[in-house]
Amino acid sequence: MIKKVGIAVRYNGFTYLISEGFSNVFKNKKGTMISLITMICAMFMFGAAFAIGQNVNYVMEQVQASQGIEVFILNEATDEQTNTLESEIKKIDGVSTVTYKSKEQALESAKESFKEYPDAIAGYTEEYIFPASFIVMLTDLSKAEGVESTIATLENVKNIRSSNDTMNTLFKISNGIRIAIIVVFAGLLVIAMTIISNTIKLTVHARRKEISIMKYVGATNSFIRGPFLVEGIIIGFVAACITIALITIAYDYVVTGIESSDILQTMNITLLHYSEILRMVSVVYVVLGVGIGMFGSAFSMKKYLEV
Amino acid sequence: MIEFKNVTKVYTTGTEAVHDASFSIDKGEFAFLVGSSGSGKSTLIKLILKEEEANSGNIIINGKDITYLKPKRVPYLRRSMGVVFQDFRLLPDKTVYENVAFAMYIVKSTPKHIRRQVPYVLSQVGLSEKSKMYPNELSGGEQQRVALARALVNNPSMIIADEPTGNLDPDTAWDIMNLLDEINRRGTTVVMATHAKDIVNTMKKRVIQINKGIIVRDDKKGGYSSEV
Ligand SMILES: Nc1ncnc2c1ncn2[C@@H]1O[C@H](COP(=O)(O)OP(=O)(O)OP(=O)(O)O)[C@@H](O)[C@H]1O
Ligand SMILES: [Mg+2]
Repeated sequence: MIKKVGIAVRYNGFTYLISEGFSNVFKNKKGTMISLITMICAMFMFGAAFAIGQNVNYVMEQVQASQGIEVFILNEATDEQTNTLESEIKKIDGVSTVTYKSKEQALESAKESFKEYPDAIAGYTEEYIFPASFIVMLTDLSKAEGVESTIATLENVKNIRSSNDTMNTLFKISNGIRIAIIVVFAGLLVIAMTIISNTIKLTVHARRKEISIMKYVGATNSFIRGPFLVEGIIIGFVAACITIALITIAYDYVVTGIESSDILQTMNITLLHYSEILRMVSVVYVVLGVGIGMFGSAFSMKKYLEV
Repeated sequence: MIEFKNVTKVYTTGTEAVHDASFSIDKGEFAFLVGSSGSGKSTLIKLILKEEEANSGNIIINGKDITYLKPKRVPYLRRSMGVVFQDFRLLPDKTVYENVAFAMYIVKSTPKHIRRQVPYVLSQVGLSEKSKMYPNELSGGEQQRVALARALVNNPSMIIADEPTGNLDPDTAWDIMNLLDEINRRGTTVVMATHAKDIVNTMKKRVIQINKGIIVRDDKKGGYSSEV
């Protein structure tokens, strides 16, 4: 039997709470391990979903920024009108560069895209049916909408193409991921809470005799609950710290692998650095871990406090 | 001090453990609760401790009607009484000293007061030398003395004991009874449920006898049963 001599001599609120809370954690080793592992799994999955979501957003922004807006010019516009349009676009807030793409260039790039099927555009060679356009690059993606609507009001603009299939797909993916994160998050929250609540129920059950003794001596419920709350908080906090470490290692490993792949290299796209993900997720983890621990233990106590 | 007015207790199982009980125990009295097994002694004690709720009637403790006491206030009611049970109910992983100090800690006594008071009550029950021992290292009589020290440490106005000698041999039982008598002489009210005939007969204290939930006898200086 382990002897704790003299603890009572130094009793005060804080040391009592902490020492009893830790002693609960260690007395119920199996339950503590199960809670830790479940919480780590739950928070890790949440972190992974969150990291993917954030990166899809980040990649989208980069793709969007590299795409720019293509403004098609009316065929009947004169050179002078075209020049006026160019200078007017340049004046719009949020526009960084404007590049002219003539009808010939448009045809060339069309030929390039369809080079596997030359028949498809064979007849169009002399007709210049591909309109001339301005490729407008933006300084800031958040201004895209404003820029687009301003351009739409200008004269000699045939139409505007801002989003293509890739963009739409990415957009759908990122929305899907956002919903998935919320669903995963809610599910894991419930699971983690149930598990930790059961763990503490085991501790409480093992100590029900002590609890009833405390009640006979006149201990209030909040006094009895204290150490169990601390137990939950400790488990939640430790789980949060371990998850932060795990996700850092895993994220760094995976991102390094993906970034060195050919596609991303040629597209000149980067992913978020792990420190940025961590900054967003670690506060959530600690709050979540501690919160789950606290509420989990509060729920588990109810039954045993009625003596 | 303790007053029951027409108290009836029916458990959810349908058992009527106490039926229309009325009695009053004054400050400084020593009262035995006697009766055969299942007669309702423990139920009376649980009603005093507000561990069980009465179905009808009123219970007044220290001038306060506790019949409708809010659950939140129950701990404060219990602090006004020291309780002792047949099975000692000590915290197994705390020393003798810690078990007693714990009761003071719960009521938020200052560390200084705890350091002075705990050795004092331990000396009262004759356990000064064993203060660093754990309950499983003590005899039954010694464990009950720790429980008594714990019950006394916050200077309660009454001691409520449910068969405190039930698990002890006769000699050890008398040690506990002498302690209770001494505590009572210093002004603390003592209410004790018991089966121990010789103790009741020798002590010549007030006897409240209960039979099938009904109070059938209340003698100022009685014996265990009226036939003796
Ligand atoms: N929690 C309970 N639920 C239902 N019935 C109970 C409960 N506690 C006691 N009883 C019943 O109430 C009656 C009185 O029980 P109680 O424990 O008060 O008797 P007692 O006089 O203390 O007996 P003993 O001398 O054996 O300790 C008994 O019939 C018992 O079965
Ligand atoms: Mg009994």
